[in-house]
Amino acid sequence: MRKTEYPEPIRQLIAQLRQMPGVGPRSAERIALWIIRSRNDHPEQITNAITAARQAVRPCARCGFFATEELCDICADATRAADQLCVVEQATDILPLEKTSAFRGHYHSLGGRISPLDHVAPEDLRIKELIARVEAEKFSEVIFALAADVEGEATTNYLVELLKPTGVTLSRIAHGLPAGGGLESADELTLYQALSGRRQL
Amino acid sequence: MLSDLQLRNVRCFAALSVELGPGFTFFIGANGEGKTSILEGACVLLRLQSQRTSSLAPVVKFGEKSFAVSGRWRSHVMEFRYSALRRRIVFDHAEQRNAQEYLRLGRVVSFANTDIELIRGGSEPRRRYLDFLGSQIDATYRPTLRAYERALRSRNALLKSAQPRPRELAAYDQPLVEHGERLGVSRAILAQRIAPIAAAVHREIAGAEESLSLRLARGNERDFRADLANSRSQELRLRQTVVGPHRDDLELLVDGKPAAQFASEGQQRTAALALKLAQARLFENEEGAPPLLLIDDIFGELDPNRRGALLRNLPAKSQKLVTATLLPSRDIADARVFELRDRQIYRA
Ligand SMILES: [Zn+2]
Repeated sequence: MRKTEYPEPIRQLIAQLRQMPGVGPRSAERIALWIIRSRNDHPEQITNAITAARQAVRPCARCGFFATEELCDICADATRAADQLCVVEQATDILPLEKTSAFRGHYHSLGGRISPLDHVAPEDLRIKELIARVEAEKFSEVIFALAADVEGEATTNYLVELLKPTGVTLSRIAHGLPAGGGLESADELTLYQALSGRRQL
Repeated sequence: MLSDLQLRNVRCFAALSVELGPGFTFFIGANGEGKTSILEGACVLLRLQSQRTSSLAPVVKFGEKSFAVSGRWRSHVMEFRYSALRRRIVFDHAEQRNAQEYLRLGRVVSFANTDIELIRGGSEPRRRYLDFLGSQIDATYRPTLRAYERALRSRNALLKSAQPRPRELAAYDQPLVEHGERLGVSRAILAQRIAPIAAAVHREIAGAEESLSLRLARGNERDFRADLANSRSQELRLRQTVVGPHRDDLELLVDGKPAAQFASEGQQRTAALALKLAQARLFENEEGAPPLLLIDDIFGELDPNRRGALLRNLPAKSQKLVTATLLPSRDIADARVFELRDRQIYRA
């Protein structure tokens, strides 16, 4: 006897939903059934929100954070300290640092870190853009806030050597960020202490 | 002690559950019945690593995606689940975010037929011996080793690229040197601590006419950073990092001569046994529970003298899990015996 399954469109929907991070087979099935059985237009609202967000959001031309204009809210904010720059691995590292209120300057996201084992080389990252900014924007301090693991350390070293000739003060956040975890998994207090306890290089 | 042990999808076992004795527990069966896999399950449960392989991937039963081991260790429930994508460490039903606390609970010493490789094999088994020891007495040892290995593999990947770029290499020098120096110092201290114990145990087994001494031969000069800089042209030619703790070795001398070349097979077996017994004795002198001893198929290899010496020198308070093809000795009191037949386990 043939095993009864959901009709093809539902199976397709479940398969699509499973592509999302953190969605396993059970949750994909529950979401799919909720979408199918909804009596209001909430599922359509989600469809529209996805389309709108995909069209409106792009990386900030200057720092790489999420933006809807050419510049993000942080880069466009004239009240922020224009002489400090904080370098992070990912755009998603910026909000956790912002929450600590320990830093009021500008950011630069590299879009990753140098990792020969993952085939990520310096030219795959926004390093040229970083150098151009440091030369043009006259920062008094550049702070490195990369992860405290091997790749984070190596990438910081690489950038420090590149930026030394510019004469700008270089510092890195104090250790204590979870190794390998990156900024995302650190709590606010740890980040605050790491930022305020930074040391000059 | 480990009062019970459960395996799921470990090597040849889909599911296995066994209650262990406080002293000797024997697993008797023909080769290929999976006796060693039971010992491996116990080792993975307590140490999150196998005594047989450096990766846990081969522990997963063929055709499966994950394995699980669990058991009761001194009234606590320990559990570890492994798949290629995820590792879960559970202690008393609470998932642990990192392994450090969990790894403080139980320690293991493994005796196997292949221990003779410690004496006559290349340097790798001797580094593994030190690493297995170090990660059980110093919580920072394993993270340091992992970081060093990652820096080393990264650097070697750069050296193997078509045009190694000095600036990228230099960026990896610092983590390599930093973690490498810490690892080298830890290993040197370990060797210093284990040397007198190994010498004493060896004397007890072999008698006063024979002596065992050991020391760490470092894989780099005292100033690792300078040594690395000096080796640059050589590493560009060989396309790999040529100095550092990955070249460390444990120098073993029997009666003042290198054991690999000059000792007889019997002497080599005695020296290997002394190294493992020294590990057990070192743990015994440390705080915490006595180590769990895994004794894998070595009784058949040892002559009656060495077998007696082994039994006399095993830490009395330690729990011992022993595999053999035949029940080796009737003079062991309070032994619990299991038989393995057709991948099933029977209490004898
Ligand atoms: Zn921006």
